[in-house]
Amino acid sequence: MRKIFISGLIAGGILFVLSYGGLFLAVRFFPALFTEYNNPLFNSDGKRDILFYLHAFIISFALSWFWDRFKVLFKGASIIRGLEFGFVYSIIALLPVMWISFSALDITVVMVLSWFVYGLVQAIIAGVVFAKINP
Amino acid sequence: MLYKNIFWIYLLFLLLTSFVLPSNCPGLTERKKWVISENSSLCVNGSTNVNKFSCEILAYGRTDTLTVNKSDKEIVLSGSIGINIQSFDCHNSMMTRDLRKTLKEKQFPMLHIIFLSLNRLPDLIPQPEPITGMVDIEIAGVRQHFEVKYKISIDDQRVVHLLGSRDINFSDFNLIPPRKLGGMIQTKDKLSVDFHLKMKTIN
Repeated sequence: MRKIFISGLIAGGILFVLSYGGLFLAVRFFPALFTEYNNPLFNSDGKRDILFYLHAFIISFALSWFWDRFKVLFKGASIIRGLEFGFVYSIIALLPVMWISFSALDITVVMVLSWFVYGLVQAIIAGVVFAKINP
Repeated sequence: MLYKNIFWIYLLFLLLTSFVLPSNCPGLTERKKWVISENSSLCVNGSTNVNKFSCEILAYGRTDTLTVNKSDKEIVLSGSIGINIQSFDCHNSMMTRDLRKTLKEKQFPMLHIIFLSLNRLPDLIPQPEPITGMVDIEIAGVRQHFEVKYKISIDDQRVVHLLGSRDINFSDFNLIPPRKLGGMIQTKDKLSVDFHLKMKTIN
């Protein structure tokens, strides 16, 4: 349990920096990709900002538990294990969620695809970190 | 008897003249009425850190009246325009809905511009003439006092064109500019409001 928590915390810190740093740079250098977020579908009063920034830790703790349960199934070097872990998570969890989101919400294909890629990259990075810390 | 007749004639004279004012008497008013035509328009321009937006109302859809009263002391411009927030079109359905939500359309469906005064009476010539005036703008239930720069002119069809512009802030009306994705996408506080009233003199 302690190992799950520690690796979740470390992966959370790394994902926090990479995810929000990447998002900040993407907004700065590719602003056109973000114009669709000017939509009442997205919270705009700032009251949920803390929840938004906690996401890196929420996904890290969840993935850390998942890794601990199924790590024996992922074999090879850390990078390969991380990649496979990321793809498994994306197929099992992300794809169905993105599918239902696109079908139910007034959002664009580009937006959904960007969320899928964002989640996939997060899971791969977390997988590599777990493979190193909690092999 | 003669005195009595003179008294009654004098009284009659007083009664008849007491409600009539000579036209050159100082302190009196000169009044003009302008009817705002339905094809008047209003445009709100703003920006976020990822794009710019321009939300328009291309047809006012009502016929309100503005009255100009000139006196020695000031030029009072009275009348107001009421704008339905629902009529805003930002040329992007999501932006349009976002602006309506920000302006609290459900609670306050109308935006009002209340005209108060002009710094001088315009000559009404074909060349746009710069004048200034005071208005109250009411958005989301909050009314603020502003000076507006106008350009006023008259065309061949005797239509008076009143173009007004003014920068306002969301925060002037206790509104919070939208911020998305934890503040990564932020709408700037400043909005530029431009309106074009087309009016006809009716007196």
